[in-house]
Amino acid sequence: CKKSFLDRPSNSQISSNNFYKSTSDLRLATASLYGGSEWWQFNNEAWLQIGDVLSGTGSFQYNPDLVQLFTRTITAQNGIVTNGWVGLYNVIGQCNGVINAIQQTASSSISAKDKNAAIGEAKFIRAVAYYHLAVYWGAVPIIEDNSKLIKNPLLNRNIVSDVYKFVANDLTYAANNLPKTDDKGRVTTWSAQGMLGKVYLTMAGLGQSGGQRDQKLLDSAIKYAGNVCKNSGLQLFEQNDPNHQGYYDLFRPVNNDSPESLFSLQWVGGVGYGNGNDLQLYFSPTPAILPEKEGGWEPLAPTYDLYQMYSAKDTVRRKATIMLNGDLYPELDQADGGYKATATGLKKHIIGNEKDNNAPTMDPWSSIEHTMILRLADVYLVYAEAILGNNTTTADGDAIKYFNLVRSRAGVDPVLTLSATTLRTERRVELAFEGQYWIDLVRYSYYDPANAVKFLNDQDVNHGRISFTYDPTTKTATRDTTATPLTLPATISSFTLPIPSSEVTTDPKLAQPPVPYY
Amino acid sequence: QTVAITGKVTSSDNSEPIPGANIKIKGSGTGVASALDGTYKIMAKPGDILEFSFLGYEHQIITIKQAGTINVRLNPTSSDLNEVVVVGYGKRARKDLTGSISSIKGDDLRQTQPTTFDQALQGKVPGVIVQQISGQPGGGVSIQINGVSSITGSNSPLYVIDGVIIPPVGDPGTGSNPLNTINPAEIESIDVLKDASATAIYGSQANNGVVVITTKRGKAGAPHITYDFYSGFQEISKRLPAMNLQQFATFINARAVVWGFDSRADFAAPQYLGLGTDWQNALFRRAPENNHTITVSGGDEKTQYLLSTSYFDQEGIALGSDFKRYSVRLNLDNQTTKWLRIGTSLQLAHINENVNSTSSSVINTALSITPDVPVTNSDGSYGGVTDPSGVVQPVANPVALAQIVKDLKTRNQVFGNVYAEIKFTKDLSLRNELSGNFDFTTEDQFSPSYTFGKSTPSPSFVSAAAAQNFYTVIRNFLTYNHNFNKLHIDALAGHESQENTFQNVSGTRRNSPSNDVQGLNSGDATTATNSGDNSQSNPTGGSALESWFGRVNVSWDDRYTLTGNIRRDGSSNFPSYNHWVTTYSGGFAWKINHEDFLKSVKGIDELNLRLGYGLTNNQAIPGNTFVTQLATVSSSLSGTAQFQNNLPNPDVKWESTNDYNAGIDASFLNGRLGFTVDVYDRETHGLLLQVPLPEYSGTVAGYGPGSMQAPYANVGSLSNKGFDFQINSTNIKSQNFSWKTSLTLSRNINKVTSLGAGGDDANLSEKSYVINDIIEKTVVGQPIGEFYGYVFDGIFSKPSDFKTHALPADPNGNPYPVSQAGGGIWYGDRMFKDLNGDGIIDSRDETALGSPIPKFQYGINNTFNYKNFDLNIFFSGSYGNKVFNQVAVPENDPQNHAAFFTSVLNYAKLALVNPNGSASDVNNVYVTNPNTTIVGLRNDNTNDNNRPNSLMIEDGSFLRCKNITLGYTFSPKLLSKISVNSVRVFATVTNVFVITKYKGMDPEIGSWNPLQSGWDQGYYPQPKVFTMGANIALK
Repeated sequence: CKKSFLDRPSNSQISSNNFYKSTSDLRLATASLYGGSEWWQFNNEAWLQIGDVLSGTGSFQYNPDLVQLFTRTITAQNGIVTNGWVGLYNVIGQCNGVINAIQQTASSSISAKDKNAAIGEAKFIRAVAYYHLAVYWGAVPIIEDNSKLIKNPLLNRNIVSDVYKFVANDLTYAANNLPKTDDKGRVTTWSAQGMLGKVYLTMAGLGQSGGQRDQKLLDSAIKYAGNVCKNSGLQLFEQNDPNHQGYYDLFRPVNNDSPESLFSLQWVGGVGYGNGNDLQLYFSPTPAILPEKEGGWEPLAPTYDLYQMYSAKDTVRRKATIMLNGDLYPELDQADGGYKATATGLKKHIIGNEKDNNAPTMDPWSSIEHTMILRLADVYLVYAEAILGNNTTTADGDAIKYFNLVRSRAGVDPVLTLSATTLRTERRVELAFEGQYWIDLVRYSYYDPANAVKFLNDQDVNHGRISFTYDPTTKTATRDTTATPLTLPATISSFTLPIPSSEVTTDPKLAQPPVPYY
Repeated sequence: QTVAITGKVTSSDNSEPIPGANIKIKGSGTGVASALDGTYKIMAKPGDILEFSFLGYEHQIITIKQAGTINVRLNPTSSDLNEVVVVGYGKRARKDLTGSISSIKGDDLRQTQPTTFDQALQGKVPGVIVQQISGQPGGGVSIQINGVSSITGSNSPLYVIDGVIIPPVGDPGTGSNPLNTINPAEIESIDVLKDASATAIYGSQANNGVVVITTKRGKAGAPHITYDFYSGFQEISKRLPAMNLQQFATFINARAVVWGFDSRADFAAPQYLGLGTDWQNALFRRAPENNHTITVSGGDEKTQYLLSTSYFDQEGIALGSDFKRYSVRLNLDNQTTKWLRIGTSLQLAHINENVNSTSSSVINTALSITPDVPVTNSDGSYGGVTDPSGVVQPVANPVALAQIVKDLKTRNQVFGNVYAEIKFTKDLSLRNELSGNFDFTTEDQFSPSYTFGKSTPSPSFVSAAAAQNFYTVIRNFLTYNHNFNKLHIDALAGHESQENTFQNVSGTRRNSPSNDVQGLNSGDATTATNSGDNSQSNPTGGSALESWFGRVNVSWDDRYTLTGNIRRDGSSNFPSYNHWVTTYSGGFAWKINHEDFLKSVKGIDELNLRLGYGLTNNQAIPGNTFVTQLATVSSSLSGTAQFQNNLPNPDVKWESTNDYNAGIDASFLNGRLGFTVDVYDRETHGLLLQVPLPEYSGTVAGYGPGSMQAPYANVGSLSNKGFDFQINSTNIKSQNFSWKTSLTLSRNINKVTSLGAGGDDANLSEKSYVINDIIEKTVVGQPIGEFYGYVFDGIFSKPSDFKTHALPADPNGNPYPVSQAGGGIWYGDRMFKDLNGDGIIDSRDETALGSPIPKFQYGINNTFNYKNFDLNIFFSGSYGNKVFNQVAVPENDPQNHAAFFTSVLNYAKLALVNPNGSASDVNNVYVTNPNTTIVGLRNDNTNDNNRPNSLMIEDGSFLRCKNITLGYTFSPKLLSKISVNSVRVFATVTNVFVITKYKGMDPEIGSWNPLQSGWDQGYYPQPKVFTMGANIALK
């Protein structure tokens, strides 16, 4: 036989060894990092579950894993914990592959600037994944080259401060190498700087206590978040809409990747199980409004605690986030004249069926909503929190300005001074069901553990974590009293998720104390 | 002065004429052959000695006294050692073997009326472990020869059918079996090549042994027409103990009291509810099967033919499964000229399979759907979940799914070979072979739109898929044979190239306008998806193998035989710098009974000692795993994007096995007693495996959305030691009654001797997605696939238990408190042993929980003949293996939101010492049924009661009465009036009973993945089968 008889490259898949020949090839490689299957496990199986159910913003009683999150009795066999872990490391594996392939195999004809920008995108996304790992689990293994695991598969955890340092390094690289503008949906230097502000704000509390944070790191947070606020030229979506519908419209898929979005997962329709955004499939209050009328398997019930956070005027954000009995949503199930809610339920991420969105390929498993992981309003509030820093209150002009921009867009009255509590409440309302509140509470627990634990337990004392019913005629909300979860008080351990037991069994080194990476 | 001798040569067992028998005058070289009707005529002198011989029959010698008639009845050879067995690229008498080869004749194979031939090997071939993977009609079987040596790919042996290599059997899921196109009725014999000295000639593909199947061929003689048929039915052997409706309602009520929610108004008075739906009853049926085979064979001295056609039809015991096979076989041999012989073996098969019950997982659904759901409503529509208060589980009515969903697979298969054999001289010949296996498969799926009660309405879904696989081999080899006085030499040298290509395409659509139009076209075009030519879905796709091979066999004085094999293979599955490898082996055989010191000992027919050594290699991994493959995916940024599909390993290379084998074949007392024993020691190095890395690698070995496929790597070494033993005995042999027994026994000790990567903690672990944890962990020094977890030690039932038993700990290592509240450990939780004694329960308390590999496997076959009756009773068994009863885990969990086994009624029941005292005081509570294994009613699982533990691992030993057959053969006298040669009628019961402690449906659980061996994942169980049939031979 001919010599080539034994060379059988795949004819349907390209080998990475001979792929990266031009800048547009690099763009195809980085495009896959923004969504699709590698983000599927995190987006659908962990993001809201950890970010909002664990933090007491929503609940669902018939899924034992979700109940564990809600009652904070999470064990190492919890499937959501595993999915979050696997999902984030899936993203990291893809990012590592792209970074290493560009560095090792990309054609020399591609400009260094383009290569660095592509690496910057991958490093940004990798940093987002490691940031979530650090917040959820603390010390975790850092992996930069997955192929090294073939020879050395069992890693130790790395100390949490080194994980954050790694995140900050990646983001700094991204901030320096990403362009100021790019195609819609792609990350820019502002995405990286906004994320960097948030990461420094988190790091500022790490290892501190008594409510004090590291001022130098706070200053870094101020620098980067402030730069985004002041110099990016970006503003909140429909900031100046006189009807204050900007917040509501922000979550409609027609406004996917608005300038407010700094990093959104780029979901597409018609890709089926395991590849798309299926948040609404699981969490919708009813299947009636979904593609093929399928789903609503785990309708998330908003908690009374969250409901109480909305002031009387805060109706736009409330209606965009949660449904109350009697609310009318004309954009959902338009063929049947819109959807009138019959109970309390989740609204954010519920976008309706394929006809409502003029997206014929949208199937139950693939909503076309681009889920926002980082948006400008978040960075505004990060900026304000960094300025507040170690003060009890602040009336700093910048802090108040950007804080009130968030409120005024939603038609809520401005404030004159800020405290840690007003900030935490504002973040919870503005970013409800965007996976952020648990991150906020963990950040709190870093520098003020005693009060953070108390804060969690106070939710229970008030039964705040319980769902509620709403009477549209009397306009009153009644806390659900039938199912009171009787749970032991939280401790500081409650702020760290257990590492999946399957991982610890496979890699016993994970049970050992973490080691430095640097 | 010569006289004419005439007569007829017949067979002593069935009185049929033997055409082509040799009749020779001893010492003269004069000889004739018998004609088609067995008659002969030869001229000889009185005093001459006539020698009658025919292959497969004992010689007979008769001294001529005068002219006249001499009719001769030849006795079939009773000693197995005279039989001819297939060695690679040739044949050899068993007594001349140097390698370890076990054989089974077609008739023995067919005793169990198997649907596919591989099922029938169970317990009949020593050293071969056969486990059913699915009882689905025509479903898969896993076969391991002399233990698990290689653990990658299919781990199955190489199948060679009339010289056609069937490409490696991938894991086709639990559904169809690629070997199911072969009709067992057409099989003449099966030879299993076990040790390296036997397999090395097949090179790298034969690392897991070789199963050589020879189909029947025509013989010169009058046409031989046979008609075989049987008909029968199958039924499920065992049902699992599901709760009925009253039990279910009572339990849900009790649980709702504790939980504070999930109470149901319709369950207020369980005693009036009736028994509800027995879903296993509703789903399983008594299913008929029928088989018809007609074979015509015959020929003359130049051309022999066999034409066979058959039809097989079987319904599955679960609704929505059936199997139909139509096949035609044509085997032709032609001696074209003195120097040229040509021929072909061809099979055409057409299979229609309904695999819906497997693809829709109706068996698992039947176990998880609750008894309150009716099969059909009073209006005739299908029932569904209607629970008005609780949550609607997306569990659809399995009976409805089995009936309304279509999943039909059609296979058309052509396989066979053509050959030409050229004889240059008496000693030297060349054989050219062109073999192929062409497989065309389509799969047609339609799922109508339906609504069952409150469960999710589903839109209609159409899917159509077509695939074709072409596998071709070109093979040329020279053979040379020569006798130099006492020295006999035969030699073989050849070249072979194999190529495997495939194409496939599939499309789906949704929303057909009606459930009556089910074609792909009828669906909504805007919902269309399509895919094709995806090597991921066919791991063996597009591969090639090129080989050079040779063999020399030298024997001296019919006493000593030496064999040497060598083969060089190049595989496209490795990077170019690792393409080529050499396989070699040597064997030595000594026929001790031919030595002078034994010649005088009577009663020894054969005594043959065999020694073999070889180095074999394995390449069974998918192609292109040494580079990163980029898959095209949809992206809203750029339309398409490139997803990295696998983590590459550029260092991947051949796996090698050192194989030592020693064996003895013996036969005594004119074949009445015989045995074969083999001992082997195999060391596999550079074990090829898709490495199950920790999940932080972003990889998965198997399916995991968004994870890369784990790399293939050479991970370590594995040792297999063991012995196989087979004894055949004719216990009683008299005119009217005979009793034969054969016993096979196999023992294999498997041990992982090294695992490279990972140091002291290196392991190969496998996760169960049902418990979301590792249940299998292979470590150095233990057998592969060992179960792993905690040791169950009762439930917390009295105050002192909280002092004597450690508690699980939180992520910071602090034990959880003892408390009734969520987040605490409480009465009714399971206790686990604190094996490391550190005062807490964590992963360091896990330990090995037993191996899925049996300590022994055995088969006992007894055949009785009394006059015209024959009776066969066959037992097969397995001892010392463990099974992971994964199916039972959710069904035994009171927190489950689906159906339960009745065992859950025995949940740990809490009571108060002082009824007026506190229910949260640890000293005031106890459990009334402390010996239960079922946890108490809590809406909290801080204890992780379903952590992998010894309760889930059960003893899988079993003794199965595999088959009882009673047959009756009509006497030839009776039949001579009608135009029938022989008639045998029979009745058979298969899977008569099983004796086992295992609580699941069937302890016999095979797997293609040695890391998931012994996992009961709710497979389609093996049915009990009753059949009656007849074998008719026409004149």
